[in-house]
Amino acid sequence: MGQTITLTVNGVRRSVEVEDGERLIDVLRERLGLTGTKRGCDDGSCGACVVVVDGKAERSCLFLAAKADGREVRTIEGMADGRALHPVQEAMIEAGAVQCGYCIPGIVMELDALFSRQPDAPDEAIVEALARHLCRCTGYEAILEGARLARRKLAERRPA
Amino acid sequence: MEFTYIGKNVPRPDAVAKATGKVRFLDDLRLPGMLHAAFLRPTHAHAKILSIDTAEAERMPGVVKVVTGRDIRFRYGENIKDRLPLAVGKVRWIGEPVAAVIAETVREARAAVGKIVARYEPLPVYVDARDAMKEDAVLIHEESGTFEHLPGMEAVPGTNIAGRYTLRKGDVDEGFRRAEVVVEGEFNYPFGSSGAIEPHGAVALFHEDGTIEIWSSSICPFIVREDVAHVYGLPASAVRVHIPEVGGCFGYKSDVTIEQTVAYVASFVPGRPVKWVATRQEDLLSTLIGHGMRTRIRIGARRDGTLTALRTTVIHSTGASKDTGIHVLIAATHNSTGAYEFPHCLLEGLSVYTNTPPVGAYRGYGHQESQFAVERMMDILARRLGMDPFALREKNYLGPGRTTSLGERLWESNGDVRKCAAVIREIVFSRPKAAAEDDRYYYGRGFAALMKSPKGAPFSSKSCYLKFNADGSVSINMGGAEVGQGLRTVVRQVAAEALRIPPERIAVYTEIDTQFSPWEWQTIGSMFTIQGGRSVIRAAEKAIAMMKRTAAQVLRVDEDRLVYDGEHIFLNHDPSVRVAVAKLARGYMYDDGVTVGEVVHATSDTRLPRQSNPDACGQGTMGITYTFGAQACELRIEKATGRVIIDHLASCFDVGRVINPRQIRGQVTGGAMMAIGATLYEELRFRPDGTAVNPHFRKYGFPTVREMPGRWTVEFVETPEHIGPYGARGIGEHPVIGVAPAILNAIHDAIGVEFYEIPVTPEKIKKALEEKGKN
Repeated sequence: MGQTITLTVNGVRRSVEVEDGERLIDVLRERLGLTGTKRGCDDGSCGACVVVVDGKAERSCLFLAAKADGREVRTIEGMADGRALHPVQEAMIEAGAVQCGYCIPGIVMELDALFSRQPDAPDEAIVEALARHLCRCTGYEAILEGARLARRKLAERRPA
Repeated sequence: MEFTYIGKNVPRPDAVAKATGKVRFLDDLRLPGMLHAAFLRPTHAHAKILSIDTAEAERMPGVVKVVTGRDIRFRYGENIKDRLPLAVGKVRWIGEPVAAVIAETVREARAAVGKIVARYEPLPVYVDARDAMKEDAVLIHEESGTFEHLPGMEAVPGTNIAGRYTLRKGDVDEGFRRAEVVVEGEFNYPFGSSGAIEPHGAVALFHEDGTIEIWSSSICPFIVREDVAHVYGLPASAVRVHIPEVGGCFGYKSDVTIEQTVAYVASFVPGRPVKWVATRQEDLLSTLIGHGMRTRIRIGARRDGTLTALRTTVIHSTGASKDTGIHVLIAATHNSTGAYEFPHCLLEGLSVYTNTPPVGAYRGYGHQESQFAVERMMDILARRLGMDPFALREKNYLGPGRTTSLGERLWESNGDVRKCAAVIREIVFSRPKAAAEDDRYYYGRGFAALMKSPKGAPFSSKSCYLKFNADGSVSINMGGAEVGQGLRTVVRQVAAEALRIPPERIAVYTEIDTQFSPWEWQTIGSMFTIQGGRSVIRAAEKAIAMMKRTAAQVLRVDEDRLVYDGEHIFLNHDPSVRVAVAKLARGYMYDDGVTVGEVVHATSDTRLPRQSNPDACGQGTMGITYTFGAQACELRIEKATGRVIIDHLASCFDVGRVINPRQIRGQVTGGAMMAIGATLYEELRFRPDGTAVNPHFRKYGFPTVREMPGRWTVEFVETPEHIGPYGARGIGEHPVIGVAPAILNAIHDAIGVEFYEIPVTPEKIKKALEEKGKN
């Protein structure tokens, strides 16, 4: 029954007790109070709960908490530094992609993982990443535009 | 008219908090001592409950209480009281709550639900109104006919017919006698879900002092408050309802949805808050669903295309309650004319109880369902008459001086469907189609015009509380629910324009709390911009008048000689004689400390003007304003698979005035995408036994970015509305209305097959193509 896992969340090492079968989303939301990660479907089909685990976008509602032991997790709370927004967040806002805001944290984390791995990800890769996320508000136009804008902003900030 | 802030892309006040994940949705609430509820759902969609054994569940770890409906002695509902917080004696749909476990954690509550043993005696199940209406059908509500209801919402006792609405305009028999051509068809808009990404949830807390506090993912806090107060015999003031951030609504978070159920359960553990958040399956089956609407339509016309008569029968599978579905049915019925004038109408709507989840609002209250029928029929009629479908429509469009089915004569300020149609025609149809087909695809394009009627209630109103702060900045509090549509931005922009103050100096409310928020009926029907915006202007004008009163004392002149410009109030012929707005916000203080005048804060409200109940013919006035638009699509059908690819989706609406170009475009693309989903992919399917086939997103058919049209056209006509803020009308629901008929008209254009039902899946198209090949 249960085990203690140690993971790094947004740069801080945390030890938590988890129950058998517990998912990463519950560790983040219920045990660590990081409610920016959203629950929308419970079967991995909406993408609202996506966080970055060791650089990879993962659906935290499917991801077993035990598997997060020893790994590095980044959530929406780790994106802005308290004053400045992350370029992906800025881009989503500027493109008008933020409507109800429920799907946004998952999309921001998906794009963070994508652009960290592949800074000049082509449109096809962006579409493939965004296709793992459902949004009822925007019709996706502004989200796709926001992702392209984020790619541009990140490129501008990279040292030449 | 020159504007400073209207028509600009003013940023959303809530965007940063949302992009950082910091806004609090219902599921993010954590209250001290909070308990969690989980529900047992039935194994049958229609059955007598023989017994519920809760003994083992009660012994499970963490369990505080197990609640059944055994002792429930009330029904609730805002239109008709046919709803129960938990099943009593029988179950009527597969998502109904049968029993609840309250426990210390969600996991414990869910584990204990699995230990409840309920036994049922199955009854015949009806998932379609046509079966439930049969003479020998078993009654779903034996007591139907005795439920308390608003006027004009009578059921037919002894049947499953839960309500009827009949509208007569002119003499429909005479209209068909004058007709030289008659066409008819039957169209089906099956069940679907609004499917917001945030599921429904609520927290209820019965305080020891007898008051009740509720938090809900709802857009109607004041209706929830009044409904709960009524049930528990409390004054409305003893119930406090909070609305945190709402993660999308699209209809199904309006009306009372789950609050009475959570409240009833929480009433067993006074002093402790009880939280429940729907799983996606519960969100799809245990809240409100959409559509379930079949439209039989018969149109008469002269050979020259003049429409003479319309006979519509809308048959609505309203689910196990008609409380939330009845207005959907009424709006579907009277809007089945679409954007056309029919001199003679007989329009009937039948609301029928079925063993399916209750149907509620879904972006537009019945508009898309019945206008799907009439817009398909206009193309079919044009073919029968050998007439250009645009010419046929042109001949019959509603407009100034023409009357709707309700008998309302339209004004120029209701908008211009002709202009919208012309814009879309020019963009999509001015060139011949590039090709009818090639090796891989058939190509087609289709058009639909649309009308959005108002949908309100005679007393519905939106209020505004506006206060000037000591430095001349402004704070605004209202009761309108922000669900993503961007009403906070609209409030800020309208206030900035009215007060001539930069938007950054205007703070707009975030959460709604019935203890502090000014009253609002509910945030539905695409009415916030028009009503809420008008309230903001009224409050601003009052505040300016108050400041002028004080300034008149200070400057020792008459008020009517003073001018306000946002920073100062000054003498009209000498601006150097002036006083700063910031010095007037709390009255004016002289150097010696003596203060004169008033604290500057103002309240206002805006009702639906001239809204009336239907008369004996089913006619009346809908109060606010009509809106018109036109949509079209260009598509490809893949020959090998039958897959439809939308290359271009074009929309044009007469919105009176565009307040925020970026936001309004997002409303249109979002709405149109939702309707593309309904037209091609989405359906909430039930087996004949009432169990659900696909109650999860994985199988539901929710469209992704891959299904997005290759090109969007979003255009607006701006015929100013007579009461809207700076001429603006609503837009929230309109973009879903014309999409299904435009796509199905385009599919006919591509392959010559008439579809009468959505979703048009690749399998259906392949089958149709194969049958066509055989003939």
